[in-house]
Amino acid sequence: MPARSVSFSELETYDCDPTLTDTDVIRMCTHGYMMFEGVVPGEINQRVLEFTKNAAIQHEPLELRSEDWFVEHVLLNPAVAGAIRSLLGAHFHVPVAISNHRYQCPHQRPQEWHVDGASKFTPELDNLQVFYYPQDSPVEVGPTELLPGSHLIRNAHRAMCHIGRIRGSVHTVAPAGSIFLTIYNIWHRRPSSTATCLRQALKYFYWRTAAPKRDWIRENIDFTRIDFNGPAQGLTADFQECFRASQIYMYLCGKLDAYKFMGGQCWPLQSNRKDGPFWGYPKEIEDA
Amino acid sequence: MAVTLDVVEKQADLCLDAFHKQNLSKEALSKLCDLIHAMNPQKQDLLYIQAHDTNPKSQAMGMSMVVNGQFEEPPLDPQDWPYQSVLEAIDDGWRVISFPDLSLLMYEDNPLGLGCEFILEKIT
Repeated sequence: MPARSVSFSELETYDCDPTLTDTDVIRMCTHGYMMFEGVVPGEINQRVLEFTKNAAIQHEPLELRSEDWFVEHVLLNPAVAGAIRSLLGAHFHVPVAISNHRYQCPHQRPQEWHVDGASKFTPELDNLQVFYYPQDSPVEVGPTELLPGSHLIRNAHRAMCHIGRIRGSVHTVAPAGSIFLTIYNIWHRRPSSTATCLRQALKYFYWRTAAPKRDWIRENIDFTRIDFNGPAQGLTADFQECFRASQIYMYLCGKLDAYKFMGGQCWPLQSNRKDGPFWGYPKEIEDA
Repeated sequence: MAVTLDVVEKQADLCLDAFHKQNLSKEALSKLCDLIHAMNPQKQDLLYIQAHDTNPKSQAMGMSMVVNGQFEEPPLDPQDWPYQSVLEAIDDGWRVISFPDLSLLMYEDNPLGLGCEFILEKIT
């Protein structure tokens, strides 16, 4: 926890105990997002909804960044901050901008699928884009739709505007006070909605300031047997999603330099195999 | 039988001629209007299918349409999509006008975009 000589809203970086396990981190590498349902207290959600009624700041409510109660319970929400600390390391940088995606529902036409601008297609996970729902967000309200695992596939907004339904996409249906983390270049959009209400989704961004290392909650795992299969299976050429997800994990462990693609049945592909060398297995990861 | 532009032009010429002779009738003008309405210009509908691979039988991973000038999406549940493959769409009268760009598929370690995109059309 930070020394409380400064208020929450004055914090530029933050540190806390990591809360994710190896299993959680690997899942983030394969899926590209992580949901925390209903973690923000109801009174905070109500306060945010009241705050954003101010027409002058409805779409870019940066003023919330100066509110201790918002920074403490939303930006540095204990359940979520521990996950961000796990993925981005100690003293991660607190958001410097806040967007509010407000839309009057119903809205028949969905937004175009997109990857947000200034996206970096890299295994070096140095930032996270985070969404917060201050209100209940059932499918009727049009909660953000995303394609799990799509952060492993390069795309660009201008090349996606004709795409409609995608097999395997999910609506991030969640109760009020939910927050979800995403790897920035995950494909997403605002879907159509049928309810009559104001849909709100706040979005902001965290950065890494420390070199990556495996300082989350360690599990006694057999690194040779990590399963990097995920929802992107079938969206890429065979096995490529495994290789890309494993590179993200290697980077987070601070061992990306040890990763070598050896082709064929190399690590991390899983299959019954004869005892012997596991080609491409980065033994250095055992020291992570 | 479809009304062609030639037929409409002939009727327009008749009306113009009658106008110069100061005997243009309401009936002649009405016939011109009817012909224009009957001409009903043909429109191109589009069907985008992102398939798993280049085989027209492979499973559709994504789908969208332009129907009567409007962008449309199939139902949320893929089981309810009108076609499960490009081949099913072809069997229903859609014609392929664009095949997947194979150059996007040559570098397996650099996955790009959504599957293998076929674009199909129907003239309605």
